[in-house]
Amino acid sequence: MKLLRHLAVLAFAAGTAIAHAATIGYIYVGPEKDYGYNTSMDLGRKFVEKNIPGTKTLHVENIPETAEVEKVMERMIKQGGASIIFATSYGYLDYAIALGKKYPKVAFLHAGGLKTGDNVGTYWANSDDAMYLAGMAAGAVSKSGKLGFIAAFPIPQVVRSINAFTLGAQAMNPNATTTVVWTGGWLQPPKEAEATNSLADAGIDVIGEQVDSPMTIAQTAEKRGIYMVGKDVDVSKLAPKAVLTGASWNWGPTMLKLTKEIQAGKWKPSHVRGDLKDGTVVLDPFGPAVPEGVRKTVLAKKDDILKDKFIVWSGPMTGQDGKAILPAGTRMPMEQLESMNFFVKGVVGTVQ
Amino acid sequence: MADTLLQGLPVSALRSAAPLLLVLLGECLTQRVGRINLGVEGQMLVGAVAGYGVTAVSGQPWLGMVAGAAAGALLSAVYALLTVAARADQFASGLAVLMLGFGVSAYAGSGLVGLRIEGFALGAGGTTPTLWLAVALVPLIGLWLYGTRTGLVWRAVGESPPAASAAGITPWKVIVAGIAAGGVLSGLGGAALSIDHTRTWAEGMTAGRGLIAVGLVIVARWNPWLTLPAALLFGLAEALSLRLQAGGSAVPAHLLHTLPYLASLVVFAVTCARLKGGGGPEALRAVFAR
Repeated sequence: MKLLRHLAVLAFAAGTAIAHAATIGYIYVGPEKDYGYNTSMDLGRKFVEKNIPGTKTLHVENIPETAEVEKVMERMIKQGGASIIFATSYGYLDYAIALGKKYPKVAFLHAGGLKTGDNVGTYWANSDDAMYLAGMAAGAVSKSGKLGFIAAFPIPQVVRSINAFTLGAQAMNPNATTTVVWTGGWLQPPKEAEATNSLADAGIDVIGEQVDSPMTIAQTAEKRGIYMVGKDVDVSKLAPKAVLTGASWNWGPTMLKLTKEIQAGKWKPSHVRGDLKDGTVVLDPFGPAVPEGVRKTVLAKKDDILKDKFIVWSGPMTGQDGKAILPAGTRMPMEQLESMNFFVKGVVGTVQ
Repeated sequence: MADTLLQGLPVSALRSAAPLLLVLLGECLTQRVGRINLGVEGQMLVGAVAGYGVTAVSGQPWLGMVAGAAAGALLSAVYALLTVAARADQFASGLAVLMLGFGVSAYAGSGLVGLRIEGFALGAGGTTPTLWLAVALVPLIGLWLYGTRTGLVWRAVGESPPAASAAGITPWKVIVAGIAAGGVLSGLGGAALSIDHTRTWAEGMTAGRGLIAVGLVIVARWNPWLTLPAALLFGLAEALSLRLQAGGSAVPAHLLHTLPYLASLVVFAVTCARLKGGGGPEALRAVFAR
């Protein structure tokens, strides 16, 4: 079924991709309509298509992080005529690097990797600032001081979110803890529902999350009468009482800029990183459960972040085991940040 | 930690098990009449999407459950056509139905993502109506299969269609009924998952639960009464793997995620070693002999 869909997309592309200088291929790890991570990437694709007349995009969904993605990329290039490829999932990196060597004239852009090639660059946006601010709201609203976090896999980008969320909560309540539950999959609605129930039963009253779609966790939290903080896409309309705020993506401008650079021949592969400041990451509107005073404190901190007066990843910082990670007055280097494999103090759970 | 772990664990296990239990009961009946339907995963998916869509439009979760059952039955009719009318290989037919269900549900569901549904209200201790429905069906189906004449006829066909035929039964009708029952119940299981358990439609959201049900039928020894412990075994292991983490356990999550499969495997191995000859309906063996 999946294969048929790919073939249909590519057959269509092969027949019509003559007139345009640039055809861009997009590959998603889950359904494009997941109301989460893949939807956010697809919104970026539509933004590029709309803003560069004559540019055409191909996209395939549900491609696992295996050798299958290499075949899909190759088909996009050979049959679809793609000259730019957005490989939007973490595990696609090595395949993009390998294909980059094979197709030197194609530009590859990987979401969030730490390796580049002669024609392979990465793009990402750091959600940490927004997750920290959302954590502040979570820490302030929580009555028990016990927060939860439901996450797919312990990769650095997720570990960073958990830590930033916890640090934000502790800024409002120094005793706040975050209990982590791993689901072992990017899209596992039944497990996400039961994980939310388990955390609620354990007396946890606010849940953060980083799975592909925030839908299930938001709606289960609403059903259980607890709160949640969203990620990737704003789900407040699905759970108006439960959603406190969230950290959403806005990939369009970054993807547009990169595409224009490549088309103009001015692109050099590098690690492009956006954040709250340039608008690639957005702090979602507050829900009704966040009191006025808390909103003001959070927004004041946001202002500090935008003006570089406050940096989330700065010392002093203590690890889960109580040992110092960063001395006071120092900033965490990018390499340490992007390969993070430890929890800060107050996180309950294991990085496996 | 022990407190938070045990508190609500039984209900949690039941919640995780309920959609699976419905599918398991259905597949149990299908296999009882001599067919192994690998397509239940696809039937579960169309049940989930139809149930979610109808609930979103009508605001009536029970109507959604009915729609889910109907969608599951519709897809199982394809399986019946292939394996009974066209005499196609049942494993290949099952896989075809699975892929058809995956594709159809993804297509139908793409417009439904992000709709808000109310679903069912929570009952005592976090229980839900679909949980009670699944549990109540176990004795009903168990009593029916072992205590009624029709149940006897179904079992007879599952043991030997030629013998049943000689006794004046029309085997193909019973086989189609068994496949249909499987379709209704797996559609219900899917609808319970989307309407009640997650209140979400997401592509491929069953994540292998249908195929797990096919395997758990063996663990349940093709006995409706034993589907409850078999499904609970899986639900308990899954609930435990999440609850141990929620309770702050230091056991690695990767290890915990293997629990449901590990537990099923162990029970499977133990019961197979003890019961010589497998204990399944005889006609199922003909599948392998062909």
